[in-house]
Amino acid sequence: MDNEIAGSRILLVEDEETLAGGLEYNLSAEGYLVTWAKNGREAVRLFNTEKFDLIILDIMLPFLNGFEVAEIVREKDIRMPILMLTAKTEPADKVKGLETGADDYLTKPFHLEELLLRVRGMLKRKSWYKSASENQPVYSFGNNEINFENLYCRHENKEMRITPHEAMLLKYLVERKGEIVTRKELLENVWHLNPEIETRTVDIFIARLRKYFESDPSNPVFFRSVRGAGYTFSEE
Amino acid sequence: MRGKHSLFYHILIFIIAQIVWLSLLGIWIYWYVSNYIIYEKVGDQVSPQLLYDVQNALPFVLGLILLIGLSFFTSVIFRDLNVQLRLRELYDNFIGNVTHELKSPLSSIQLYLETMKQRDVPPDKQKEFLNIMLKDADRLQRLINSILEISAHESKKTLQNYQVCPADQLLKTIMEESFERFRIKKENYKITGSVPCEIAAAKESLKIVFDNLADNAVKYSPDDIDINVKLSCTSNKLTIDFSDKGIGIPLTEKNKIFRKFYRIKNKEIPNVKGTGLGLYQVKQIIKLHGGKISLISNIAARGASFRIELPVYTGSDKRLIKGRQESNG
Repeated sequence: MDNEIAGSRILLVEDEETLAGGLEYNLSAEGYLVTWAKNGREAVRLFNTEKFDLIILDIMLPFLNGFEVAEIVREKDIRMPILMLTAKTEPADKVKGLETGADDYLTKPFHLEELLLRVRGMLKRKSWYKSASENQPVYSFGNNEINFENLYCRHENKEMRITPHEAMLLKYLVERKGEIVTRKELLENVWHLNPEIETRTVDIFIARLRKYFESDPSNPVFFRSVRGAGYTFSEE
Repeated sequence: MRGKHSLFYHILIFIIAQIVWLSLLGIWIYWYVSNYIIYEKVGDQVSPQLLYDVQNALPFVLGLILLIGLSFFTSVIFRDLNVQLRLRELYDNFIGNVTHELKSPLSSIQLYLETMKQRDVPPDKQKEFLNIMLKDADRLQRLINSILEISAHESKKTLQNYQVCPADQLLKTIMEESFERFRIKKENYKITGSVPCEIAAAKESLKIVFDNLADNAVKYSPDDIDINVKLSCTSNKLTIDFSDKGIGIPLTEKNKIFRKFYRIKNKEIPNVKGTGLGLYQVKQIIKLHGGKISLISNIAARGASFRIELPVYTGSDKRLIKGRQESNG
């Protein structure tokens, strides 16, 4: 395992004791330090008292459900990676999960390898983002300014807060300033998704960045499309 | 959400339908009255024979009856639609809950199998994993059986597959097995009293009864589990008082808890998992045994307390003889 994510602390929130035991065994075998919470209330208590790098969160939990826990976590730490793990398969539940702040969603029953890959991907992404933000926490281009640590940004005189995924996409583009970045590359490196099925995701997020940072989003200056290739970011 | 939206649309349609009917009724009355006035004014001059009489009022009265009738039937349809919607909501919840209950042990089994396939698991751990998988498989089997047996219990009128056996040994063994299945430690339960009598019982069905009561005691006890079972009997009746020190059940829910799919919403422990079939099934089984179950008042002590009463076997139980004939037939 990569040194940068070895020893990462994972909060596992799962009320099914046998499932939690199996997950704890596998995550520990991968070199992570796992703390198990068997209900939503315990999860919030642990989150408030200890430091974690990632949360694996079931939805149907006693006391507080997964959506409620995710909301509480997001209020305190907007960048905490949350992987929702649930038996619910309704698209509405997936949308709700992602809306309340989950970064990824895995339905039960799942494959062990897939879960471990996703956990690794999320931790690597967090680690990359953290080191990239530490080097340059505040970045300015045109009339815009973004703080990659607290995710606050300013466009002309308007202040707003962007989501962790939007910040990661922006960071990725800024680091490859002037280069053409393909959708496939973005999906694989920013979202860790299968690029064959989710091409619209990138377009939606680019449109959001244009809305936040471009004076005229229909004629973008900073986030330009390259026909048939992808996107490119330039400072002016 | 979908249920709430559907209900809103149906209420809206109902209100619109009522407005339409009332408007139609208004137009009908207006048309009739205005024509009547015209007839009164000019009828004599145009045709002296065309006079208002009782026969002319008949279409008006019939029209009114028709409209009122239609309005009444709309209300009936609306009421039935509401019942349908409520049933669908209950059914959707049930399917969602059962899916969750099925998927959890299945996920666990898959996880342990993949772990054993992909990792070099030490022999002692392997044994531990196998035991966990067997327990999960057992849980799956119990859930599937309980769902299948519900319809079987509903269609039966008499007890079948029963055996006449000593009640004390049978009940204590079944309860201890249930407590073990739900990982309730010996220090967390107490069985007192004895029942030196015989009962005619279907052992597998009684297992479902105590599994459900034990499962509820575990799920609704936020702190330590504390179960007390008191057994007693008279010459014709055997009583089991099953109490826990959990969050309890409000007495206002006394009758509702035995309804099919009904689930208590408790603020103290929200989001408790379950299918809403447990206590319904318990009641069905106890009824088949010729007994009854009730939630008894427990104001002083915290927790839920159920009283189960079963008939003592006297050797001349007509109900059982009939059941035996039916199962043989």
